[in-house]
Amino acid sequence: MRDIEVDLSGRSFRLIGDTGPVATAIDAALTVNGATRGAGGEADLLIVMHDLLPTQKPVPPDDAVLSEAGEIVNAGGRIVFVLSVLAGVPARRHAAYSVTMAAAQARMRLLAMQLAPTVLVNAVGAGCIAEAGAVISGDAAMLGHVPLGRPGRIADIVNAVLFLCDPANTYTTGQTLHVDAGWSVGYARNF
Amino acid sequence: MRCDLADRVALVTGAAGAIGSAIARRLAENGAAVVILDVDRDGAQAVAATLPDAMAVQADIRDPGATVAAVAATLARYGRLDILINNAGVNTFANRVTVDAFPVEEWERVTAIDLDGLFLMSRAALPPMLAAGRGGRIVNIASVVGLAAMRLQSAFVAAKAGVIHLTRSMALELGPQGILTNAIAPGSVVTDGTRKLFYGADGSFAGRAAEFMQHIPLGRPGMPAEIAEAALFLVSPAAGYVNGQVLAVDGGWTAGSNI
Repeated sequence: MRDIEVDLSGRSFRLIGDTGPVATAIDAALTVNGATRGAGGEADLLIVMHDLLPTQKPVPPDDAVLSEAGEIVNAGGRIVFVLSVLAGVPARRHAAYSVTMAAAQARMRLLAMQLAPTVLVNAVGAGCIAEAGAVISGDAAMLGHVPLGRPGRIADIVNAVLFLCDPANTYTTGQTLHVDAGWSVGYARNF
Repeated sequence: MRCDLADRVALVTGAAGAIGSAIARRLAENGAAVVILDVDRDGAQAVAATLPDAMAVQADIRDPGATVAAVAATLARYGRLDILINNAGVNTFANRVTVDAFPVEEWERVTAIDLDGLFLMSRAALPPMLAAGRGGRIVNIASVVGLAAMRLQSAFVAAKAGVIHLTRSMALELGPQGILTNAIAPGSVVTDGTRKLFYGADGSFAGRAAEFMQHIPLGRPGMPAEIAEAALFLVSPAAGYVNGQVLAVDGGWTAGSNI
């Protein structure tokens, strides 16, 4: 059995924004769990991908789509933002990125308020994620403060997205589930 | 969601109640053996009888010796403990007064169960979990009032805020040993207690509850199964990099403002 299985049969999805390896993995996981990639227009599941590497000029997702999210996402649908844990913990060396992520998280919460009760809107906050030695989310400097002492995998982010799309998960909206092994919760080192 | 909890042993406190029994059932449906711990012996036995592989244990989590004995009984029956759900808790419905007049006995009763009891149960469960070296999961059932304060229930608010920060502390301490600790912060949920105050058996509401529900974006209370779904995710193989988090399952109560 896979780590998590959700029944998304009969549901359509759209991914907008960043098209990196996490987006590719989410696309594959939604499909494996029964959802169908839509050609555009309306969808049951809208995944809003943000650039997960702190760059100087993060590329925002399609603003036109977000502005019309209430029309695009069908009743009973879900919107899941995939953003960085830096949304809640601004990083000194990643100023523009931190501010952009905080704004994205605020927009997620706003959409949750606007689209309730017909559409649930949540976020996954990615910590330091690496695959085959390459950091694809966050900053390797975070690892010294990660209680598990290792980076996460792309699958950890994908699994959280699946949970937030889970048809049985029906009372959570406006929340950010950080997938960071506890990096953001306090001081992991002894002082 | 579905996941594979075969061979895992879970201990759920307050498991005779609405939320605890829903969590126990959800874990059992995915293959876990479940210890049904409750202060109410008959209630625990009734829940255990409905599950394929469960054992009822009567214990008062305020008693350090009782928590140690409950863990010993778990190990005697199943030989291991992988998952602890710290669900047992009480609110202070009977004493809707401000801090200046809050009865000392009531403060002590609520904090002894909701915070001290959760600490004692965790303290009893952890040594065998750590010694086994297989890692594990702890899920603490907090409350949204631990995130955003409410009036007239200061003992409950303070205890739940304590649970939330204890969760973070445990996550930092136990993460290196592979034991992940997270919390769920339920909003208003249809339980035996809230049914007496607010809700019909099916979660229907009127009067004071209807006024309250206008502040909840989803416009309704949560059901125990919705809390159980979050608990299942947090103990599943899918949540192996989730640690120290407080997941509000609150219908959007803490998402923002309705103004």
